[in-house]
Amino acid sequence: MSAPNDHQQSKSLSQNLIQKLPLPPLIPPLFATIHLKSYTHEDKDFFTNQASHCRPSFFFPVPPFRASKTPLQLGTTMSCSNLTMWASSKPSLSDASALSCRSFIAPLQLPSQNSLPASRSSSVTPVQCGLRELRERISSVKNTQKITEAMKLVAAAKVRRAQEAVVNGRPFSETLVEVLYNINEQLQVEDIDAPLTKVRPVKKVALVVITGDRGLCGGFNNMIIKKAERRIAELKALGLEFTIISVGKKGNSYFLRRPYIPVDKFLEGTNLPTAKEAQAIADDVFSLFVSEEVDKVELLYTKFVSLVKSDPVIHTLLPLSPKGEICDINGVCVDAVDDEFFRLTTKEGKLTVERDVIKTQTVDFTPVLQFEQDPVQILDALLPLYLNSQILRALQESLASELAARMTAMSNATDNAVELKKTLSQTYNRQRQAKITGEILEIVSGANALV
Amino acid sequence: MTLNLCVLTPNRIVWDSEVKEIILSTNSGQIGVLPNHAPIATAVDIGILRIRLNDQWLTMALMGGFARIGNNEITVLVNDAEKGSDIDPQEAQQTLETAEANLRKAEGKRQTIEANLALRRARTRVEAINVMS
Repeated sequence: MSAPNDHQQSKSLSQNLIQKLPLPPLIPPLFATIHLKSYTHEDKDFFTNQASHCRPSFFFPVPPFRASKTPLQLGTTMSCSNLTMWASSKPSLSDASALSCRSFIAPLQLPSQNSLPASRSSSVTPVQCGLRELRERISSVKNTQKITEAMKLVAAAKVRRAQEAVVNGRPFSETLVEVLYNINEQLQVEDIDAPLTKVRPVKKVALVVITGDRGLCGGFNNMIIKKAERRIAELKALGLEFTIISVGKKGNSYFLRRPYIPVDKFLEGTNLPTAKEAQAIADDVFSLFVSEEVDKVELLYTKFVSLVKSDPVIHTLLPLSPKGEICDINGVCVDAVDDEFFRLTTKEGKLTVERDVIKTQTVDFTPVLQFEQDPVQILDALLPLYLNSQILRALQESLASELAARMTAMSNATDNAVELKKTLSQTYNRQRQAKITGEILEIVSGANALV
Repeated sequence: MTLNLCVLTPNRIVWDSEVKEIILSTNSGQIGVLPNHAPIATAVDIGILRIRLNDQWLTMALMGGFARIGNNEITVLVNDAEKGSDIDPQEAQQTLETAEANLRKAEGKRQTIEANLALRRARTRVEAINVMS
């Protein structure tokens, strides 16, 4: 019996193999497919038919179990290995998903194998793995599944908190809109010249890009960064200067790696966006705009549509148009579409519906108001508030989208892990069975030989 | 007649209950509001708000915003509001000193605007504590 020797031989063979192959990551790349897809696909079908794309297609290098054996043993070994092979290469697993541990076809293999041409022509190198490796792998998948499951639950809990924050902020924004609407009615006749509403010829644009602080949330961060890149390209094409205000760690690291993109400020978000953070951004934006360093400020964030859908959007933050900002709470002044500067930016057309909603809210408010100060001063006091609440809202929506995206991604990852675990344990059980059968055969034939 | 005060910030409702009288710092100076005040709209400066509950005066630091008074309802919309009793005196004092230092260091129009705003906020917070004691 030369089994130990054989094993060593196969070990060294596998090491050669490992060196030749590009090494896949040690942790099963459950999330890799999700990320990859986000690069290639637009957001529309991202969350919907993801599951079909998420079958992990990867392989892992483990020592091939078989090697040349002595001729006397060949008969039994062959039957045993064939059994293994047929058991593991189920029809449901295509060539692409080569996690079934198919026999590694060594050059000295007998040419009578059926699956030989197919597996050779496929891009994935099938690798056979031993029982021990399978066991290790199953336990690692199990651990990963626990992690992803926990992350999913955490994200779900946080989504609830994020929703609460939005609800808490609602009285403020509703009253604000009400007041703005009311004042706007009375100010329509007057010529207003507040600094935040000043429309200047645009030479330089500031982009506030809101990203998340963490990864593992599907394509969330990539989508918003891609959007920013597209916008930068557009601005470059128009011959305008630009600067970035980056909010969130992921965006920060992205822009830090690209020094050719001018960044005005890096800000970091925290767990739950508060008025303080919104204030920090608003201060920055405000001073940039008022000091005439930039003539236009745009906000890029991920709009939360539902738990399974969110869109990266661009909203014009400044200049605020005193006539338009009442119309919608989301910051794009609707009635300024005729304006040339606005035509540059208002590309998201989902505003009219919301405008109607808000107008119905404000109909019943008609007290006879006296202005303590100049209307301009009052507007001056109101517009920063409005700016703040806009930014806060964007932060909140962005967080909600991030958490929702993480929930989806993690739930997919968990599903994949479950599936992977199932296939692996099936393979493991089959191999174990095959091994036992082989041993029994050996014993029986040995006994027969003795008789 | 009772006067109802409602102080709203983007995060939460800071105050929503009945008061006897308030003194509000507006852009054009402090105004006192008693029940049955004429309806007005006013800009609120970065400054302190004093609230009288029976015989007790409370202070609150307001970070700039807007107030609407009418029908015995006062609605104050501000970026941030802190009750004087919630502010940590040491921390506030330290922030004030940093803000002063920053203003001295500030160069250019933009930095000056930022530093000035920060200084005024810090000063208001310190004032809110001092009025209390």
